[in-house]
Amino acid sequence: MSDEKKSTGLAKAHEIYSHRSKRARELKSEGKKVLGYFCCYPPVEIMTALDLIPIRILGDMDEPITVADGYLPTVMCIFYRSCFDVGMKGKYDYLDGFVGSHACDGAERTSHIWRNYMKTPCSFFLDVPHAATSEAVRFFKDQMNYFKETLEDFAGKKVTTDRLQESIALHNKQRGLVRELYELRKPDPPLLTGSETLEVLISTMMIPVEEGNTLLEEVIQEVKNRPLATRKKPGRMLVWGSLIDHTAFTDLIENSGFNIVVEDTATGARPFWHDIEATEDPMYGVAKHYLTEVKCPRTFTKSGATYKEDLENRFGYLREFAKYWNVNAIYANIIRNCDIHGYEVPSIKDYFESLDLPVLIIEQDYSTAALEPLRTRFQAFAETIE
Amino acid sequence: MGNETKPKTRKSGKTLQTAREAGYFGKKMLKKGLEAMEKGAPIGWSMVTWWQGELIAKAMDVNLVFPENYGAFCASVRQAEPHLERSAAEGYPNTLCGYARNCIGYAAMLADNGGKVPEGAPGGGLAKPKFLMGSGAACDARYKWFQALGRYLDAPVWTLDLPQTGTNEFFMAGNKELNISFMVSHLRKFVAFLEELLGTKLDYDRLREMVLQTYKTLELAHQVDLLRRAKPSPMVGTDFWSVMIPHLYLPDDPEAYEFYQRVYDEVKQKVDNNIGAIPNEKYRMMFSELPPWHTLGFFDEIAEQFGIAIAIESWNYHPILPIPEEELDGVTDPLELIARLSYRKWTEYNPVAVKYDTGPGFFMAAYLQFAEDYQADGLLAHPLMSCRPATYTLLHTRNALEEKLKVPGVVIEGDIVDLRVFNEEEAISKIEAFVETMDHYRELRRKAGMAW
Repeated sequence: MSDEKKSTGLAKAHEIYSHRSKRARELKSEGKKVLGYFCCYPPVEIMTALDLIPIRILGDMDEPITVADGYLPTVMCIFYRSCFDVGMKGKYDYLDGFVGSHACDGAERTSHIWRNYMKTPCSFFLDVPHAATSEAVRFFKDQMNYFKETLEDFAGKKVTTDRLQESIALHNKQRGLVRELYELRKPDPPLLTGSETLEVLISTMMIPVEEGNTLLEEVIQEVKNRPLATRKKPGRMLVWGSLIDHTAFTDLIENSGFNIVVEDTATGARPFWHDIEATEDPMYGVAKHYLTEVKCPRTFTKSGATYKEDLENRFGYLREFAKYWNVNAIYANIIRNCDIHGYEVPSIKDYFESLDLPVLIIEQDYSTAALEPLRTRFQAFAETIE
Repeated sequence: MGNETKPKTRKSGKTLQTAREAGYFGKKMLKKGLEAMEKGAPIGWSMVTWWQGELIAKAMDVNLVFPENYGAFCASVRQAEPHLERSAAEGYPNTLCGYARNCIGYAAMLADNGGKVPEGAPGGGLAKPKFLMGSGAACDARYKWFQALGRYLDAPVWTLDLPQTGTNEFFMAGNKELNISFMVSHLRKFVAFLEELLGTKLDYDRLREMVLQTYKTLELAHQVDLLRRAKPSPMVGTDFWSVMIPHLYLPDDPEAYEFYQRVYDEVKQKVDNNIGAIPNEKYRMMFSELPPWHTLGFFDEIAEQFGIAIAIESWNYHPILPIPEEELDGVTDPLELIARLSYRKWTEYNPVAVKYDTGPGFFMAAYLQFAEDYQADGLLAHPLMSCRPATYTLLHTRNALEEKLKVPGVVIEGDIVDLRVFNEEEAISKIEAFVETMDHYRELRRKAGMAW
C-alpha cells in the first residue's frame, strides 16, 4: 500500500477511488483472500471475522459495454450489465471468492450467470427475502449460517461468537464514522462535497474495514480543520434512488447549482445508516439488520391503510433526512431498467411534493459518455430552486 | 363449457380442438370476478404465485383475478395501448413490465370512475379488489407493481415470499427443509392476514381438498407434457399458451381436471396415430419466454414456411415435475402441501443444473433437459422489452445449449404487450437464416453420436 501510505485523508481516498483494485491486489499478494460481493446485502461482518477481505463489485461508467452483450440482454439493468462486462474483461480477476445476492432481479440473475463464467475457488449466492417479517428474518439467518459455513470451509477456520462480535463492532464503528462524516454536510455550505463523500465511501468498500475506519477518521479531521473548500449554492440536494459510483456524475450535478448533502442510495447512506444491534445470538442481529435496516425499495414494507400512510411507511425516514440536512431539492436517480426504483417514481414524487420539495427524475444510462446532455436538466432544475 | 368449434385462423394458431376451447377458462375467471363485484363478494387481484397463495384465498371464497393474464388478454385483442399511455402519463417509466403498465393504466381509469369498471373496458374489465396478492418469485415487478397500485386502490397488499437459493445452496444439508419450513410459517401469517381482513376462518379441510385436486390436475397436465416428446409434435406452443390457463390459474377446479383429461385424450390420440400438429414438421424448436400475444400468427407462419414446430416452451408456465412420493409421506397439513408444491416448481431442475455444472436451476436449466427430452433442433429466444427479468437468462441459456448440447439458438426481440416492438417480417428473415444453422448443428450432433 505504498502510495496510500504516503497520502492521508481525502487525497488517500482519491487514490483508492481512482485505483480501486490496487489495495486488494496488494493484500492478495501478501496471502490474503479477497471476496467480491454484490450490493448492500452480503454481510461483510462474517467475511471480516474470517480475515477475508470484502470488496464491493461495481461497474464502470467509463467503459462501454461490449463483452456482456453476448451474455446479458440489452434490456436488463445497465449497472449489472456493466459489472458483468468489466468482470469478463478481467477487472475482478484477483477475486478468490464471489458473493452474489438476491438484492434485486439484476443482482440475482447476474449473480447466477457470473458464477458460470467467472469461476472462483469460493462462491455463494445469498437469497434475501422480500418481506421483512419475523419468519423472514429467521430464514435469512439460516441462509447467513450457510454462508458462514461456506466461508469457514474456504478459510479453513471457524467464526467464533467473540470474533463475530468484534467484527460487528468494527463495522459498526465504520457506520458511526460515516454518520459523523455526513454531519459535516449539515452546515451551509457543507464542509465537503458530494464527490468527495463518494470517493471516501467507495474507498471504504475497497479496503479492509480497519483501514477504512482510519481513512474515515483522517478525512473527518482533515475536513473539520481545513479552510472552507465549498461554497453556497441554491440547491441543497438529496439524491435518492439507483446508485451513483462515479464522480463525473456528482461533479456534473454539483457544477449545476447544487450541493449534494445526503444520498439515499446503495453507495450512499443505505449500507451505513444503522448499527447492527447487539443480540444474544449475533447472527440473528446481523440478519435482522440487513433485512430490516438497510432501506431499499427492494424490501417490501407492509402496506398502510391509506396511500398517505403507505407512503409514510415506505419513505418516512426520508422526511427526517430532508429535514436534518435542510434539503430543498430532490434528485431521483433511476438507472435505466432498474425496476426496484422505477416503480417508485410517481410515489416518491408524491411523497416529496407533499413535503413541498421539488423533485427531478431522470432515467440515465450509467455511462459517462451519456452524462453531458443531463447538465441542462440539472441547470434548469437549479433555476427553479432559485 | 361450450363445444362449438371455431375455424383455425391466422390469429389463433391453435391446432388442438381443446386449445380452441380453453379460452372458456379465462372468460370464466373474468366473469366470476364481475359477478362477485355485483354481489359484493371479496375480490383479490393476484399474481401467479405457482399455487402458493391462490388456493388459500380461494378456499376463503375470495374471487381471484389475475392482472398479468389481463395484460396478455388486452394485448391479444390489441386494446392495451390506452392503458400503456395512461401509465406513461402517470409518470411510470415505459421500461417497466408491459403487463404492469397495462394494469396501472387500467387502475388509474378505475379510480377515475370511482372504483367502478370503466365502460368498454376490455373483456369486461377487472373489478375493484379487496386486497392484492403479490409474489416475490420470478421478478421484482410482481410485488413492486402491486405496491405501486396504492396510488389508485385503497386495498392492502400482501407479498408472498418464495425462497430462491442458488443451485449449490439448495443442496446444502438441511436447506431445502428450512426453506419449506419458512414457507409454511409465512403462509400461516398470510392466513391470519386474510382471516382478519375477511372476518372469516379458513376451512382447512376444504383447503386440503383443493390442494389435492391441484396435485391431481398438475400430474395430468404433466402427462400431457410427456406425450409431447413424441415425433412429430402432437401439439405446439400456440396450443400450450391456451391450455396452460386451467392448470396455472384453476388447477383446483374439477372442471379444469376434466378439461385436461380431454386434452390428454386428444394429444394421445394424435401420438398414437402419428399425427403432427403442423403438416410437415422438419425442425423442433424450444421457445422461451412469453410469446408476442399480439402476433401469435407468427408461429403459424414459421410452421408453414419452414416446417418449424414449437415442441416445448416457456418452462415456468408448465406444471411441476411430480414430487417424489416419499417426500409427501405423512404430510397432511395443507399449507405444507402447498409449500412443497410451489417450492418444487422453483427447484425442480436443480439436479439438471448440477449435472451440467451450470445454473440457475430456474429459468435456465430446464431447457437443457427439454433439449434432450424433446430432441430440439434449436431455441427461439424472445427477449421481452417489458418483461425483462424473464429475459435475463436467455442469452446464457442459448450459450449453454450450444456449448453443452450442440443446440443453437436464435434471438428475436419483441414484447408481450407492446406490438410496436415486434417486427414480424424481420423475425421471419432471421428464422429463415437460422434454419441453415439448425441443419449445421444437426450434423454436428450426428457426428458426435448424440441421440438426435
